[in-house]
Amino acid sequence: MKSVQGPMTAQVLDRRRLLRTGAAMLGGAVLLDACGSSGGPAANPGPSKRPPINKEPGTLSILEWGGYEAAGTSAQKNGLEAGKTYTNKFGTSGITYTYITNDDQALEKATSAGPFDLLHPCHENLPDYVNRGLVQPFDTSLLPSFKQLNPYLAKQGQINGKQYMIPWDWGYGSLTYRTDHVAQSDATGWELAWNKKYSGKISLWSGASTNFEIAALKLGFPKMDNLTTDQISAAKDDLLKQKPLNKLYWESEYGQMQPDVKSGTVWIAYSWQDTLVSMKAAGVPVGFLNPSQGRLSWLCGFMLGANTKNYYHAHDYVESFINHNACAQMTNLYYYGTSNASVKPSEIKNQALVKALKLGDPNAIAASDVHLQTWTPNRAAIELAWQEVVAA
Amino acid sequence: MLPPVVFVGVLLLLPVAFIALYSVGLRTNIPGMPTAFSLSNWSDFVVGGGSAFRSRFIYSMEIALLVSVLATIAAYPLAYFLAFVARRRRYALLLVLLAPFFTSYLLRVIAWQIILNNNGVVNSLLWTLHLRPHGSAISWLIYSNFSVALVLFYTWIPFVSLPIFVVLENMDHRLQEAAADLGASRAVTFWRVTFPLSLPGVIAGFVFVLIPTTGEFITPLLVGGPNNQLFGNSIQAFFGDTPNWNYGSVLAIALIVVVIVLTLVFGRFLQADLRAETRPTR
Repeated sequence: MKSVQGPMTAQVLDRRRLLRTGAAMLGGAVLLDACGSSGGPAANPGPSKRPPINKEPGTLSILEWGGYEAAGTSAQKNGLEAGKTYTNKFGTSGITYTYITNDDQALEKATSAGPFDLLHPCHENLPDYVNRGLVQPFDTSLLPSFKQLNPYLAKQGQINGKQYMIPWDWGYGSLTYRTDHVAQSDATGWELAWNKKYSGKISLWSGASTNFEIAALKLGFPKMDNLTTDQISAAKDDLLKQKPLNKLYWESEYGQMQPDVKSGTVWIAYSWQDTLVSMKAAGVPVGFLNPSQGRLSWLCGFMLGANTKNYYHAHDYVESFINHNACAQMTNLYYYGTSNASVKPSEIKNQALVKALKLGDPNAIAASDVHLQTWTPNRAAIELAWQEVVAA
Repeated sequence: MLPPVVFVGVLLLLPVAFIALYSVGLRTNIPGMPTAFSLSNWSDFVVGGGSAFRSRFIYSMEIALLVSVLATIAAYPLAYFLAFVARRRRYALLLVLLAPFFTSYLLRVIAWQIILNNNGVVNSLLWTLHLRPHGSAISWLIYSNFSVALVLFYTWIPFVSLPIFVVLENMDHRLQEAAADLGASRAVTFWRVTFPLSLPGVIAGFVFVLIPTTGEFITPLLVGGPNNQLFGNSIQAFFGDTPNWNYGSVLAIALIVVVIVLTLVFGRFLQADLRAETRPTR
């Protein structure tokens, strides 16, 4: 009786064959790697080679913070109206969002998971985005509202005279604390996060560079974004001491941190000033710490993807965010500062917050009593040190 | 049609080989960064003094073993009930058991956040029943070893019960009848006949839980605290949050090696048992 097995079915994958195949694959991987392209983004087409807007695909892929999605999209749940002029004109079906959880992750996501048409990180990693070829300069002539932007903030988005970032929002980072549980006498500085009295009720952000900046300020290091090796080691040790006091390192502002502060799961959390506004609106008694060492401050904005096929759509999208009405509404919603200088303090509803947070003065983010988050030359060392803190 | 070895090579071995190149510094994820062969990351992880990642690996294996043992122990009665008691309704009940797992894994873990949170279902029920003062929550319910182990246990119970159920259902039930005829009590019949014959399913179920749990990261991310993150979280963080794919690759390859070792160990045990079952009786 003839065998019914053909040549294919007779190939049993035994251990010897598997090992041979594995060795072949490893060699193949090395060969492919050696023969592979040198990398780097393709050259951007010049202005004359760009298709007109009606020939662009119109599908924007955007790396964005949660809560900043354009008005009209199903993802926008907070009532932000920025982006409305874009979505009214082009619709919402072509927009997809990939979310940022922290600035370090945003850079890695932009590097490995792109390409994105637009990115909305904060400005401290701008040199890395430019050096990695991830972004290209904007054509500010395509942004009618650009001339309304605060010149100081606009300059922060320039490298070698080119506008790589269009600033949009700015603000502070500090500790939000429940005033009904935390003694005011304890709420004096960043050391509040190290106070054992509140063990298990603290939640720092899961962000390497921010936590090292906080530790650096608490330890009194003069340059929080340019730490020496010894200072990184000291900050790491301090964060290791702080770690057991955390209930969690939060990753999602709206999914974890704000619900946890509201429910009382945590009493002290790293946050931005919008949490102060949200909690007060929900009737939760909170304060936004003004540490003796100074708050962190930040500036974020839009960057244009190096290889975007939606050059003109992307500019239109940014314009829909930076115009006067969009900026005024954003500030009234989140109480973040806006880059549009035509928005006057009198247009913001809560004048007490305007005064407390100096929302009428964008230069406040560089004032002597706050610490603007800037580029870190030894970010890789800080990232590794942070992972050691998390793994410990 | 391509031979299977090509599929295995291209889809499984080639990606692992690329990761191995990252682990020894021959590739980098950072454009423009020079590459050079280096075993420094391997040295730091394997023999480096006080490596936090080695400690995290050991902790993760402990959690994975604990969850696997508990899930297997808890799944056995479920599988036994379906195979021997439920009779004609066993497949319908099996479907009921599996139904929640047709929904997204992420949503099920988030649901546990709602159940276990300070203002969640459990604490609210305790307040309503006046078993705890209102507002006084059991804090260790969430962001703790308990919450991580509980959610992993809940996630894997159906998958453990399936192989045990299959083995029990396909068992020759006349063996139990014969044992009873020979005077064995139900307990003796279970320990001397049923349980030994079900061991291949038990081991398969145990392995079904153990191997994926070693690399788990979603559950600790959502319901775990800072001290409850598992080895998978470190790998995810290196690839997702940091510029250090090289170190992350070391951790990933280490995990692959451990999984291969576990598979070989338990695979031998399973083969031995199957051979014993199929050995012709005299």
